[in-house]
Amino acid sequence: MALEHVAHGQSRFMTPGVAPDPRGVVLGRFLVVVFPTLEGVVSWLRLYSHEASLDELVAGLEIVRVRTPLMSREMLLRIPAVSSYAGDRAARLARLVGGSIYTGTAKHFVKYRDDRSPYGYDAVEIGALPPGAELMVHGDDFTQTYSREGELSLARLLFRLSLRRMPGATRLSAEDRADLVLAVARGLGDGVIRYLWRNKCDGEVGLVAPKNRSAATTDLGPGLGADPSYLLMRVRNLPARILELFLGTPGIDVFRPVSDNVAVAVGWAHPVELASVASLLPTDAYHVFWPGDRVDVLAGPLELSRLADLTRIDLELEGVREPLQGEVVAPDAVGVALRLAPASGLARRVSATLVPLAQTAHFKRLVYLLPPPALRGLRVAVTDRGIVVVASQDLDVIPLGTLLTELAPGILVPIGMEVVPRVSPEVLATALGHGAGVLTVFTPSGPPFQLPESKLAVLERRTVAQLDTDTIEVRDVALSPPGDPTVVNDPLGSFALWGFPEPEPKLLGE
Amino acid sequence: MPRPDVATFLDRFVRPLVAGGEVHVSRPLTSVDLARFEADLGSATVALVAVDEARTEVLAELVARPPALVLDADELALAVGLHDALVLAHPDADGTLVTDGMRRKIAAAALRMVSQPLSRDRTRVLARHALLHNLFDLGRADVTVSWWTGRARFLGQKPPLRLRAWKGVRRVREEVARAGFDELLATPDVAPVIASLLRRTPLTQLLGVSALAPPLHWEDAVFLLRDAELARAVAYAAIRPDEPRAQIAAPARMAAAFEQMLERSPPVADVRAVAAFLSHIAALLAMAEAHLTSPAARSPLLSAVLGGGPGAGRPRGLAAFFALPVALDRVAPRLGAPPGLAAEAAWQRRWLAFKSQATELVGQPLIDSLVARLGRHLGEVAAVAPAAPALTPS
Repeated sequence: MALEHVAHGQSRFMTPGVAPDPRGVVLGRFLVVVFPTLEGVVSWLRLYSHEASLDELVAGLEIVRVRTPLMSREMLLRIPAVSSYAGDRAARLARLVGGSIYTGTAKHFVKYRDDRSPYGYDAVEIGALPPGAELMVHGDDFTQTYSREGELSLARLLFRLSLRRMPGATRLSAEDRADLVLAVARGLGDGVIRYLWRNKCDGEVGLVAPKNRSAATTDLGPGLGADPSYLLMRVRNLPARILELFLGTPGIDVFRPVSDNVAVAVGWAHPVELASVASLLPTDAYHVFWPGDRVDVLAGPLELSRLADLTRIDLELEGVREPLQGEVVAPDAVGVALRLAPASGLARRVSATLVPLAQTAHFKRLVYLLPPPALRGLRVAVTDRGIVVVASQDLDVIPLGTLLTELAPGILVPIGMEVVPRVSPEVLATALGHGAGVLTVFTPSGPPFQLPESKLAVLERRTVAQLDTDTIEVRDVALSPPGDPTVVNDPLGSFALWGFPEPEPKLLGE
Repeated sequence: MPRPDVATFLDRFVRPLVAGGEVHVSRPLTSVDLARFEADLGSATVALVAVDEARTEVLAELVARPPALVLDADELALAVGLHDALVLAHPDADGTLVTDGMRRKIAAAALRMVSQPLSRDRTRVLARHALLHNLFDLGRADVTVSWWTGRARFLGQKPPLRLRAWKGVRRVREEVARAGFDELLATPDVAPVIASLLRRTPLTQLLGVSALAPPLHWEDAVFLLRDAELARAVAYAAIRPDEPRAQIAAPARMAAAFEQMLERSPPVADVRAVAAFLSHIAALLAMAEAHLTSPAARSPLLSAVLGGGPGAGRPRGLAAFFALPVALDRVAPRLGAPPGLAAEAAWQRRWLAFKSQATELVGQPLIDSLVARLGRHLGEVAAVAPAAPALTPS
């Protein structure tokens, strides 16, 4: 037995560089996952990246090709032990894909905790590493040393992994189609731009030219022909039918952004979740993952131009015609005058009345009889054409003058009449110069007149004339709060002692 | 210096003393001056009426129908005596020109003037109280003027303008402090005058609260408890403050005076009256807590003032005050049960809980001691009809 179970609260360990974390789980600075092949490493990365972010592990992550003393090769993945929770996830995934996991700090790594020993394991015996050995792992019933043979960076691994075709992934939802990237061969550029513009697809366009021309020509994408440059278009809200058309058109490749600077071909997926390794994909570059192991790293940020500005313009310099000179004049008016005519429809409610000035005395007497709500609800303005009385509700309490009804907001006509020709209220208001805050009153005789609504005062305020009132004195009968007396010492001056008695002598026994 | 006249004295000293304002203290007044004042009193009608109206206003807060007041000779003598007592607190009376012998003569004159006959007449008692009700509130504005090279203190005097000029340039600063009763009238040479004065106005002594005031003599004041209106006014004034420790200051002082009374040989009726009155005040305090949700809930007042145990800053007489109703239950149960409490079951339960907690906090030995002392006075007459004042909680 090369390991013993760690007890709860145990703080001293044989294995150097391990200590209990706050949960009591034995943990070193690193976790080491050993796989027989590189596929195991890729599978682990694939699983982990979909469950959690690899960014927190990237700082100390190392993929090492190691060799055992028996010269067999294995792959070793070293990740920082950020917490036992992350360690638990790494252990679970490692066991799932056929790896084994250990924890330690420098050279000795012991088996990470499992169900049989919830607090982890400690080595029974720690010996010196043989010469050339990089590290030693302590398993249940074995110890194994490894020597380093080579190293593989995670970034290189990411770019070398082939995209995998995803069945049914070409049917994108409207949300996924909100932002797509197109790589269009230059020969198709004009046609695609015109097609997108005609279909009112908004977007931007830029030209991608490889910096290393020889490298580009040796690894051309499908349909790109001999010219390695292509147009990169960023389109928004691409309709499904156009997406389907583009996916089936040679020379046009469609990509879906998975992060701000990464796009993956539609219908394909990278084995590792690229959004979880954002720190390995620098933000000053734009990464386009093509099918067939091709990755284009474009200098970023992308500087694209409006798609609508790139539509083709036909110029015909021969036979240019002179611009037509003209002027704008008012159209001929029909010139039909507005008139009042008996209304044909139902009678409207009475909204106002126009009391002739001759009936002012009657109106004044009527004011005495009006109930309080009427006094408050009526507004009045005295004009040279009469007294305009406007009610907020039905005005049926004033049997004086010409009763008016509201034809349109603010346009008052005598009751039983209407304005002919029967144009719409908007046209009528325009013809009269009528607007908000203005009252236009048609009278049976004479032209209509207008007055601003601000001139209307509430009848209640207009009725009472200025009254003379007597000012009375209010007496406060309450007791004033007494103030504290304050001694003021006047000058004593000199004073005689006449009239002051002698103090009575106090003798003992009295 | 012109001879003072009574109108000026009434206007500058007596009226502000009653109604508040600046009480002017000038040269000491002699018995000759007092005799002249008495002779001229009838001719100073305007000032006299002003004083009497001010006194009536004071009494209007105390009794429903203030009696008609006319300042008479003995009240004038009390005012002149107080004036002379205040002269002794005058800064000029402490200088080199006024010797100790002169101060003793002034004090003797003041004492003689305030030694007027004691009175138990209701009108006279009210009149004297109205005259002297502000005695414990008398104060003096002491101004300290400091400037860049020195400072000067003016006790109840206005600093000269030359010292206050050029405030910015000379960095003049004025600080005003108010000297109270203790600095003005509690000094050793004035204390006998004030003690004698307060014996002449027992109502002022009962209504006013000052830790530095002369001790209360219940024998001089007990007759007031037999007047229901005045007794009620005294009871309400005693428990007027809201803060617990201020609220029990006056009852504790009265209870301390009652303990002193028990050491003498007072009439039994007086002991019964004071005991019933203090029990009534305790009941009022208990009734003030009738709003507590449970009648048996612990009293916040008792917990606040007695909770610290003996010696925890309890004022003198406080334990005796709360022990008295419990002791009376054993000596004279009728005195320990204020009339009217039993009519309301909730009040009665609260009163019993209050006494129970008081017993727990003051301790049985103190109650036993009080029972023994009360027994010496009330032992044989406990079952006889009491002469206690007929107070009902309202």
